[in-house]
Amino acid sequence: MEQRWANAWRPTINEKQFIEEALRSEIRVDGRRLYDYRRLTIKFGREDGSSEVQLGETHVMGYVTGQLVQPYRDRSNEGTLAIFTEFSPMADPSFEPGRPGESAIELGRVVDRGLRESRAVDMESLCVVAGKSVWAIRVDLHIIDNGGNLIDAANIAALAALSTFRRPECSVGGGDSQEIIVHDPEERDPIALTIHHFPIAVTFAFFSEGNTLVIDPTYKEEAVMGGRMTVTMNSNGDVCAIQKAGGDGILSSDVVRCLRIASLKAAEMTTKIKEAVETYNAEVALKKVKRHPLLVAQKITVPDVEMKEASFEKMKNSDGDMESSPNQASTSRTNTNASVGRPKIWDPYSTSAPSISSSQLPGTVCTSNEPNEDQIMQTDEESKPDLRNDQISNATGVSSAIHQENSPPKSLKDAVKPKNKRKKNAERIAR
Amino acid sequence: MGKMEDRIDGRNANQLRPLACSRNLLHRAHGSARWSQGNTIVLAAVYGPKAGTKKGENPEKASFEVIWKPKTGQIGKQEREYEMILKRTLQSICLLNVHPNTTTSIIVQVVGDDGSLLPCAINASCAALVDAGIPMKNLAVAISCGLMEEGSIILDLTKSEEEKLKAFAYLVFPNSPLTVIPKVPLSKEQPIEQGIITSVTRGAMPVSGYFDCMNRGVAACAAISEFLRRSLQKQSSDDTSRAA
Repeated sequence: MEQRWANAWRPTINEKQFIEEALRSEIRVDGRRLYDYRRLTIKFGREDGSSEVQLGETHVMGYVTGQLVQPYRDRSNEGTLAIFTEFSPMADPSFEPGRPGESAIELGRVVDRGLRESRAVDMESLCVVAGKSVWAIRVDLHIIDNGGNLIDAANIAALAALSTFRRPECSVGGGDSQEIIVHDPEERDPIALTIHHFPIAVTFAFFSEGNTLVIDPTYKEEAVMGGRMTVTMNSNGDVCAIQKAGGDGILSSDVVRCLRIASLKAAEMTTKIKEAVETYNAEVALKKVKRHPLLVAQKITVPDVEMKEASFEKMKNSDGDMESSPNQASTSRTNTNASVGRPKIWDPYSTSAPSISSSQLPGTVCTSNEPNEDQIMQTDEESKPDLRNDQISNATGVSSAIHQENSPPKSLKDAVKPKNKRKKNAERIAR
Repeated sequence: MGKMEDRIDGRNANQLRPLACSRNLLHRAHGSARWSQGNTIVLAAVYGPKAGTKKGENPEKASFEVIWKPKTGQIGKQEREYEMILKRTLQSICLLNVHPNTTTSIIVQVVGDDGSLLPCAINASCAALVDAGIPMKNLAVAISCGLMEEGSIILDLTKSEEEKLKAFAYLVFPNSPLTVIPKVPLSKEQPIEQGIITSVTRGAMPVSGYFDCMNRGVAACAAISEFLRRSLQKQSSDDTSRAA
């Protein structure tokens, strides 16, 4: 303990006087005005329910987890919310590992009062079976860099993490309809928490016997200040918690002023958090859409790497076939080159084609540049698997395989066209 | 090796997840680094060297303490073991005689856990020690190797792979000794000469399997150490001095 305190940063008398003197003329050491917040950045982790908040030099990580438990007797139809604060020795050399210190407990309590006791998070919606099982939400707040004003940063981190947290959907079922089924997130979309309002903590520091009032003190200012007050308000202007644990006394008119400033800041912060959450949600939604094709694409492209040249050649040939005039083919060839990879994924029938051609004929591809009648017919037939596909490909083997993949740029028209072609070809065969 | 079947995430057996390393993220810590291998992310901070050693440590040498912070919940037996392994690993790569009777604290915060947590933590704390300017003999580079049923080796395990495999090993190797002591001749042909620093295995594996792991591990560590050195050099140019 002794040693930890020795490691704590304490301002020298000169530094103290400098900070106070500057504040008297309304100048702060980091160049802010008295009622300015430091820069706020909110980042989210790769999984739901984790956030990283940076408020100037202060850095806090929030992490939310949920678990099914038996509810408390007196509140049998409500879930629980618990806040755990972790003052990691990472943040400040004076923070001790192990048991939480005084300020860690204060921070936890202020955030807890703001969030839980003001009923910002809907607890009843966390109930699965009354009296039997409810969701217990646990918020871990890791302070990883102490730049001052930990309460506000931790509060924002908790809010951000809570608003991106998703719990898996539950339903009651089984034989005696007592069993609780937790649905896999892949199966049913997990559910977000219901958050009624965002209680924002705004911390004020007082200097020179309460004559100077600043918002969002840095750790240097915190070491000098005479007192501190944290006001937790939401954007509606409701007071959710006020914490002023001793220190310099201030006039009640100053308290009113603080409340007014706090409600403004709360509205500002609420929009900031909501914006950040929205961008995150949009990103997640985008990822969900993208995910499937990406996986498929990977699987296909990896073994096909050497095939690329061959597929270029194929394109040339197939263009030639379709158009049946070499001049046109050469012009369209240049256009189609850009989209070599894509049709492979889109066309469900051609997926079997690459593997055959790549294994059988890397060499013959180049030799068969001249289209001949037989190939034309087979090409068009083979792209439709329902048309005697197997027999033809087996019989004609190597040379026909090259043309299996007709891949000019696809459009809606192309989806219709082949049917006619097939008829024509059928006629030709008949002839 | 030829063709190997793909792993769940589409990598082949020898492929590592994307690596990322950034340093000097925290303002209060004397050194800090964030190392990520895919979704496994570890943040490490270094304070020190501070005066005095803890009880039971040799005051003639510099001592280290490692504090492991899990993502959620309390620290368990496994984390305590990791703390101990990490401490001894770092002790073996640092120059202990430069600052006798001091303690250097390394705090490791898990940000994301998707397997290979200990190797990731070792790489992160190594980068953080460099960032803090703690005198070191060489860098330590860690890798996880898993032994498949049919005897082939896969590198850089994810969590689901760790649960599925019958045996795997965390291996730590020193990189080529050129970082702090300029006198030692630079020998690029044998990047890992001093041998293995730490080896933590889980599950049963044949001796030949273990040596296979070692060989693969050495090769992978050479690649990681190249990455680490490059990222250290890139960032050391814009390093600024910080207030203590």
